[in-house]
Amino acid sequence: MNAILKNPLALAGLIIIGIISIMAIFAPWIAQFDPDAINVKNILLSPSATHLMGTDGLGRDVYSRMLFGARISLLVGIVAVGIATIIGIVLGAVAGFYRGWLDTVIMRLVDVMLSIPTFFLILAVIAFLTPSIWNIMIVIGLTSWMGVTRLVRAEFLSLRNREFVLASQTLGAKDGRLIFKQLLPNSLTPIIVSSVLGIASAVLVESGLSFLGLGVQAPQASWGNILTDGKEYIEFAWWLSMFPGLAILITVMGYNLLGEGLRDALDPRTSNNK
Amino acid sequence: MLKYFLNRLVWMVPLLVGISLVSFLIMHLAPGDITSTEASFNPKTSEESRQKLRELYNLDKPVIVQYGLWLKRMSTLDFGHSFASHQSPVFWQETDKEGNVNKGMIQEALPITLLINVLSLGLIIAIALPLGVISALTQNKLPDRSITIFVFIGFAIPSFWLALMLMYWTGVSHNWLPISGLHSLGAEKLSSFAQLLDTLKHLTLPILISGLTGLAGISLFVRNGMLDVLHQDYITTARAKGLPENTVVYKHALRNALLPLITIFGLSIPGLIGGSVIAESIFAIPGMGKLFYDAVLMRDFPVIMGILTIGSALTLIGNLLADLAYAWADPRVRRGVAQ
Repeated sequence: MNAILKNPLALAGLIIIGIISIMAIFAPWIAQFDPDAINVKNILLSPSATHLMGTDGLGRDVYSRMLFGARISLLVGIVAVGIATIIGIVLGAVAGFYRGWLDTVIMRLVDVMLSIPTFFLILAVIAFLTPSIWNIMIVIGLTSWMGVTRLVRAEFLSLRNREFVLASQTLGAKDGRLIFKQLLPNSLTPIIVSSVLGIASAVLVESGLSFLGLGVQAPQASWGNILTDGKEYIEFAWWLSMFPGLAILITVMGYNLLGEGLRDALDPRTSNNK
Repeated sequence: MLKYFLNRLVWMVPLLVGISLVSFLIMHLAPGDITSTEASFNPKTSEESRQKLRELYNLDKPVIVQYGLWLKRMSTLDFGHSFASHQSPVFWQETDKEGNVNKGMIQEALPITLLINVLSLGLIIAIALPLGVISALTQNKLPDRSITIFVFIGFAIPSFWLALMLMYWTGVSHNWLPISGLHSLGAEKLSSFAQLLDTLKHLTLPILISGLTGLAGISLFVRNGMLDVLHQDYITTARAKGLPENTVVYKHALRNALLPLITIFGLSIPGLIGGSVIAESIFAIPGMGKLFYDAVLMRDFPVIMGILTIGSALTLIGNLLADLAYAWADPRVRRGVAQ
């Protein structure tokens, strides 16, 4: 933990993500307005003390919508990456621990998934289901586990024949114990780093889908669909497209900084030669 | 070299079968089957077109037979006809009884997307290469720090937002560039050179967008590759024998640092193809991305399945070309020493 706090990248990322998470969690208390309340008298007001980020084409308070949108972005990012990480750990552990034909099958599946353009794959699945926040999370999760699988497998392969693992095995430890008590704890660092970086790209994918109208559906606010609404008014209401874009940029950057910082702070190899 | 090539070619077969299986499974994701009304965005889907879907994918036969027939159709590149767009053939042109040629939808869209991606790759190389080299040579000094900040922003900036902002700035408020479509109104009356210029102007923004968003990763990659190589023994040797610094950096280090870049370009193909959805739908460019996006909105299943398959096949071909280029550039690979 000390190492993380001493690393400027990780610290900056942690602060950004911390602030955004607090705003998302306490959105109902921070927001001054109902994010979905339509008010025809207050259409397209520019930012002011009452409406910090102005109002949109239906007179809704953009700041309140942004706060509730933050919930969506963070939730989708974390759940999607959670799904991907669990799948990746299971498949990677099986492949790296047991090797043989299971390894071959799993790794070929990874190759297949990597050769289908991811965004096409996600959109195709959504075309056959219906777009909703739950489907989005599941789809992003199911299409982004390949990196973690490769990573866990590689870690397991390199740790599998190390002395502490062999010693434990000689003492009669069962496979499950070897995997969960010996191998997995020693592979955690790269898994955590790749998960944090994964959240960043999941946030980008979700906002992209919502922007295209295939993600979170109106009236539920998400940064992507606030931006879609803003597109219509870009000539005379800059605030509608400026704030959601900046919010996505800052959040994604926060996760990237945290991920890269963690990599530097936790990995002795890279911190030595820098 | 030939043996290496054949080896790689044979590797593609199981991958293609795997892709066909994944796309087949996706088709069966929909609740009920894809012909049921709730699976349809378009309430006007007629009983007739549902019947066509059933016939096209043999939905009345057992699953394993369906897959076999799907695999067979895929291997002949027969993706059927679009539902939404006047029964146009999905992949390649067909001639009807009266001798009229119906162009295939992918046939028309693919060259546009390929052109955009090739040009934006050129842009990426032209900018990312110097940035990466400068960054590595000034490690942890001011230029490196500024480039790193730029890289972090580049990684995080949503391409659709950047597209909107550039579109507003260059197209709407300054009126420098056209913001939609591939040709200006009445462009067909211009000379062919003016037409080409007109199309290039329309392509400028989409190329900038896919170029700018891909830049960060490549420049970071060049930086780290250079740093790795600069710490190698043979660089120390080159310096020790008194070679000028420029020769060491550009002849000995850069060449070796660039090798893995070939693979990275191969790996970035699916991202570029997938990313074309956003840029093309924002700028109304009639390429693969826009075609796919429209097909998803209309639930035009034959087009969706066709593009998914062709896009994956393109990725495989791209990877194959990258591997071949790597083997050509690095004798260790083709003789099977490394990896």
